[in-house]
Amino acid sequence: MRFQALNQTAHNPRHSGKLAIVVLCVFFFCQTAAALTFPRLTGRVVDDAHILSPQTIQSLDKKLEDYERGTGNQVVVATIPSLQGTDIEDYGYQLGRTWQIGQKGKDNGALLIVAPNERKVRIEVGYGLEPLLTDAVSSTIIQGIIIPAFRQNDMEKGVINGTDAVLSVLGGKGIPGGLIAQPSVSDTVLLLLLFLAFMIFASRHPFLAAWMLSSSSFRIGGRHTGDDGFGGFSGGGGSFGGGGASGSW
Amino acid sequence: MKARYWIIGILVLLALFIVSGINVIPSLDEKVNASWSQVQNQYQRRMDLIPNLVETVKGYANFEQKTLTDVIQARANATKITLTPEMLSDPQAVKRFEDAQGTLSGALSRLMVVAERYPDLKANQNFLALQSQLEGTENRISIARKDYIATVQEYNTTVRTFPGRIWAWIYGATPKQTFTAAEGAERPPAVKF
Repeated sequence: MRFQALNQTAHNPRHSGKLAIVVLCVFFFCQTAAALTFPRLTGRVVDDAHILSPQTIQSLDKKLEDYERGTGNQVVVATIPSLQGTDIEDYGYQLGRTWQIGQKGKDNGALLIVAPNERKVRIEVGYGLEPLLTDAVSSTIIQGIIIPAFRQNDMEKGVINGTDAVLSVLGGKGIPGGLIAQPSVSDTVLLLLLFLAFMIFASRHPFLAAWMLSSSSFRIGGRHTGDDGFGGFSGGGGSFGGGGASGSW
Repeated sequence: MKARYWIIGILVLLALFIVSGINVIPSLDEKVNASWSQVQNQYQRRMDLIPNLVETVKGYANFEQKTLTDVIQARANATKITLTPEMLSDPQAVKRFEDAQGTLSGALSRLMVVAERYPDLKANQNFLALQSQLEGTENRISIARKDYIATVQEYNTTVRTFPGRIWAWIYGATPKQTFTAAEGAERPPAVKF
């Protein structure tokens, strides 16, 4: 391409110097293209490996859209048919950068990447979400929630529960314990105590309690988001630096 | 008459040249510095993890002392060697930094391999958390290094080729050292659960 351009300029010697400079400048600013190819970002759930049912895709997409509306954080689920011979760690951050998940400057994006053919899964976390969704927590979600489901060949369950866990952690509620182990009696007692404590708290500070409730996910009604579904989703310019964790099954 | 056109033509060319290139090297230089500080941050992050890791592992009776002291020693060495952005053109300084961090990488991956032999340790929640943090940090280091290599490549290409060469001469800019990908140094320690 470069030679072609130079040949064209050679026909007109008077402008050749100037054009050559322009061509050279363009050439220098060109970024080398990434060696990997990535699927198109068609929505918040990109099921390129075809392991999810349409209903699951729709409900996950809706959940992630609601989540973004409430927090501004972008979480995307991607299933990948092939890692093209590289590690999922290498693939993951480049996918996140290519799609630019998260807002520019805030880098508040996260990806759940599943490569069923290589049996690899990764949670890729943007710089801005690293304090909440730490490597250790990401690893716990993968090892404790996603991989057990994948080992039972239940891809849908793994992806759904994994996404729920990611959203729960990002919402400051920690990893849903019930997904790892059956709730024991002491858990029930603890929940009851927490509930009681909250009721006492609410009776003293009703406004604070109402605010806490409204800012958590226990919202009732009034959340009609329209039917925009898949259309119009794009990354906000976020970047990734390798935070998160991976696992295989 | 003709001479005047020539002069105007040359002036226009010169103006174009100046406008197109005056900011290229300084802004590339800033990019290299930024990507370098990211590399350093990630190495620092790894060094910050080590005391905790050592404490956790120490608690396990008869854990191989040599592996532990190697890690402590390598960390102490690596802490002493810093590399400021101004030193990035100095091959020796970059090599010293690389060697110190490389030794630490080696000592750490040996520690993780040895840890495989201690089932109690591998079941320890604290250790598992540290292990995933260490893996994540190694991954961040490898990405920060790749980004650094890419920005240095861009910078060096500009400095070594026309028209950047002229600007490099004006600014006194010299090519910067890139990393030589040391075998095993940039790979996360392979540790299976």
